[in-house]
Amino acid sequence: MTTYTLPKDKLPEFLSALSDYEIWAPVKKGPATLFDRLDDLKDVDLDLENQPVISKKAIFPQNEPLFSYDRKGTVTETDLNAVKNTIVFGIRPCDARSFTLLDPVFEGDVPDPYYRARRSKTALLGIACNDPFVNCFCTSIGGSPFGREGLDLLFIDCGDLFTLEVITETGKEITGKASSLLSPATAESSEQIAQAATDKIKRHIDLTGLPEKLASLFEHPVWKEFASKCIGCGICTYSCPTCYCFDMQDETTLKQGRRVRIWDSCMFPEYTLHASGHNPRATRTERFRNRIYHKFKFNMDNFHSYSCVGCGRCISLCPVNIDLIDYLSRVKETE
Amino acid sequence: MNNPYLPQVAKIIDVKDEAPGERPIKTFKVVLENGNSLNHRPGQCAIIGILGIGESMISIASSPTRKDCLEFSVMRLGTVTSALHECEPGDTISLRGPYGNGFPLDDWKGKNIVTIGGGIGQAPLRPIVQSILDNRSDFGDLTVIYGARSSHDLCFKDELLALEKDGPASVHLSIDAEEPGWNKFVGFVPNNLLEIKPSPENCIAITCGPVVMIKYVIKNLLELGFTDAQIFTTMENRMKCGIGKCGRCNVGHLYICKDGPVFSYDTLKDLPEF
Repeated sequence: MTTYTLPKDKLPEFLSALSDYEIWAPVKKGPATLFDRLDDLKDVDLDLENQPVISKKAIFPQNEPLFSYDRKGTVTETDLNAVKNTIVFGIRPCDARSFTLLDPVFEGDVPDPYYRARRSKTALLGIACNDPFVNCFCTSIGGSPFGREGLDLLFIDCGDLFTLEVITETGKEITGKASSLLSPATAESSEQIAQAATDKIKRHIDLTGLPEKLASLFEHPVWKEFASKCIGCGICTYSCPTCYCFDMQDETTLKQGRRVRIWDSCMFPEYTLHASGHNPRATRTERFRNRIYHKFKFNMDNFHSYSCVGCGRCISLCPVNIDLIDYLSRVKETE
Repeated sequence: MNNPYLPQVAKIIDVKDEAPGERPIKTFKVVLENGNSLNHRPGQCAIIGILGIGESMISIASSPTRKDCLEFSVMRLGTVTSALHECEPGDTISLRGPYGNGFPLDDWKGKNIVTIGGGIGQAPLRPIVQSILDNRSDFGDLTVIYGARSSHDLCFKDELLALEKDGPASVHLSIDAEEPGWNKFVGFVPNNLLEIKPSPENCIAITCGPVVMIKYVIKNLLELGFTDAQIFTTMENRMKCGIGKCGRCNVGHLYICKDGPVFSYDTLKDLPEF
């Protein structure tokens, strides 16, 4: 693996060397740091809090016009050739890994052209988590604070400088554009930091046998108990890097309209409500249960992976303190 | 690459008041404006809609053996179906598909076929009936069991009565409650099934209707000696994308839009939520 170092104060220069790309990064917006398109290099905020709005939207936008139409019914397809080569800078390893879990969904039997257009043109430049957050549990679910899965380049914060690990050909191409700022490095220096970061993760769960356990618990009263605390706000799904459910709606003015894809949430009753009034998941119990089953059983049945990367956002952001790890532990103990 | 979200344009060539009841049903005959065929299989669905309003997944109510048009029988219930009910011949709608697996009719050749429908649930069963009538010698006996709330809610009444009279199939209609002038079965479809008692010998039974009806029909078919693998149903859920991505139509780990809508009871009985 090729490894470089970059002095930290050269980061703006590094990013400006990549001006051919549209750059997304953690950006300071008032009191919050959000993941967004970077207009001014000075706005990059590497003091990464657990970015509440996740980098998922760089590839799977929260609102996305699929096509537009006029009153005569002439349909104009969104021009996907206009999607620019993009760099997502400062993404956390868990969030980068989440795209590898979204890929089989959006590729699947019928590939999704919108997802593919952005995914194929987006490079992921991650920052290793030296200081995992309080609810991080990536190491319990196949990830790590220094995980490389899904990334093209990994930045490691080594004090005054970053160590850059080149992971893919795309990563190599990108470092090539800023080569004058980079110096060759030795790889072993980061291993201690990686171990220290992993040791800082406080939350753990052994998921062995969970899908099999869930198979026998579908009708168990425990779901009603779990869901009784839930207020159905949907933040667990909106903040989840592996959730992908969407709605399609028409937005119209007098002269024209467009069909838009927007993020949806399985925690809302309207999500499954039939026009007849029948709802196959009529109460929060069924909706809560479906969310857990989708992530920890159905996704395993379909794609041989959990639909979760252990980022811990659903735990940290839940307004009524529903703790996924506690609940999964309880599932494992339930008879 | 092919964009699965882009609809085609279809022209309505005929609108029929199929069932004028409290929840009215209209049957729309449509043709694709580019003259192409949809190349669907019986039991598949299409997403039809109106630009500016939205889309709904609707089963294709006609067999691919009837090549002059596609038919959709639509109950007026929500925003999209209400707007469709305002449409007249000559209007255009959006159409994409076909979606789903369809019925394995090739596997059923040489067998006796029983369809058991309730209400608008006869629409997806109709292409089976038509396909068998159009390839009559490929199949054994055809029995159509169909019921609705009242005689005003029965779909395809004229063609089913004609079929009963002409004899290529045996037809058993029912309504839920007594009505003056109704001399056929009165009661729920699962009970009519027990009256008729089709033999499970070399037979496939396919049912579609309200969920509660499907459950009792399956129970009664099992009672009559049908095995799990001889029973099929076709299901519905709210859908948006039609290609297994938007998430909402799942039953267990399967998506009705792409893994269904046709399921054998063999598969279905192990799925949670059924």
